[in-house]
Amino acid sequence: MIAIDALRCRNLVIDTLTIGPGITSVIGPNGSGKTTFLRICAGIELLHHGTVSIDGASPRTTEIGWVNEFPDRNILFARVNDEIASPLRFRCDTTCDAIDAGVKACAESMHITHLLSREVRELSGGEKVLVSLAAALVHHPKVLILDEYDSHLDALLAEKVDQVIRASGARYVIRCTQHMNTAVESNHLLFFDSGRVTHAGTPEHVVPFLKGTAFYPVLWECG
Amino acid sequence: MMRISLDRACAVRDHWSMTASGTFDEGVHLVSGITGSGKSTLALMMAGLFPLSGGSIVKKEMSSCMLSLQFPELQVTGRTLEEECTSWGAPAGEILEATGLAGRTNTSPLSLSRGELKRLHLACVFSQDYDLLLLDEPFSSLDCGEKSNICTTIEQTSGITVIFTHEQEILPRVSRIWEIDDGKLIGCGKPPDAYERWHHIPASIKRLAALGLLPENISIRDIREAACRIRG
Repeated sequence: MIAIDALRCRNLVIDTLTIGPGITSVIGPNGSGKTTFLRICAGIELLHHGTVSIDGASPRTTEIGWVNEFPDRNILFARVNDEIASPLRFRCDTTCDAIDAGVKACAESMHITHLLSREVRELSGGEKVLVSLAAALVHHPKVLILDEYDSHLDALLAEKVDQVIRASGARYVIRCTQHMNTAVESNHLLFFDSGRVTHAGTPEHVVPFLKGTAFYPVLWECG
Repeated sequence: MMRISLDRACAVRDHWSMTASGTFDEGVHLVSGITGSGKSTLALMMAGLFPLSGGSIVKKEMSSCMLSLQFPELQVTGRTLEEECTSWGAPAGEILEATGLAGRTNTSPLSLSRGELKRLHLACVFSQDYDLLLLDEPFSSLDCGEKSNICTTIEQTSGITVIFTHEQEILPRVSRIWEIDDGKLIGCGKPPDAYERWHHIPASIKRLAALGLLPENISIRDIREAACRIRG
């Protein structure tokens, strides 16, 4: 269980919130605190007020995988192979052979082996997301956090990424998306507005509150 | 009559090439296609910013052209929000007010959140009329409400507006649908006739079409209207 208690961070205020295992989609307008929330869960941002615990541990002592909307801002290395290998190399507890094998297995499972020898700057936006996702998953994190990762993905690629996310083995996936047809394919849905979580629960519970807004999934209109 | 005609216009990168033929008349055009299919390259070609390896692109009766890039930070030239608006020839006060950035005239554009910067960028783009307006992924980084607002703005543009996007949920009414498939630009035609040939048809329209309910166009309003007929 991810438990949030008495959280105060800039405009974000959450008195109490628990998130169970599975896929949680975070939705709502720009500037409503979604990214701040993800950054706190990832341990990128430290809390001065309140607590976040992931199965009893703090985010910074939990294995986390993070994917940003603009993968370029996260990518450190020029070659795809080096980028995916980096989380394993930074740990300093894995042999070179094991790292190579880990990268190979990860790339194969995502069908991006053909990208390994490429330069990151030559990749398309969607390919960069796949590489970032591979780097986030190569060390088998307990929590996978994705911030508007699908903003630059086409429908086919988004579906592929979705399959990768579901097969990742991460106990918790927290993703922020502006695609409501995707968001409703989750175990939990959190709707953020003006720094507050205004609706939380299963999609079946939350979506009816969004009727008549641009956040109501188009597919639900279609029977 | 304004018109842009592509005749076997060809772009070549290392291991990839694309050929585009077709005529774009006044109205709103949607070019769909998967990531890496060449949408951005085609936008650059139509803007005259990508050298053709063959064929031609001829513009008729057009004097102004604007390309809005997918990543707005690449088009920032001002050090402050005020300078940025002015550089587009746009009234800073009005633009900042409309984009919820009033009172931040001296802020650096690059310190804005991605959604804020995209909103500012699009407001500056739409502050002028262009004969040819090329919008590369105008919906990326925007929330659903903003996407919907941009659709309304796009529907009000004059001249030739071409949207290059993989967006599948919130789209404006368009006069023609195109797609890039396998290195080729294919004209699918006008909605609703285009749906039959459109490989990248959004899931919602596909579902409605399967029920025999063709939305007249591809906007949310059209989809809702068609969906109402189910219950009707």
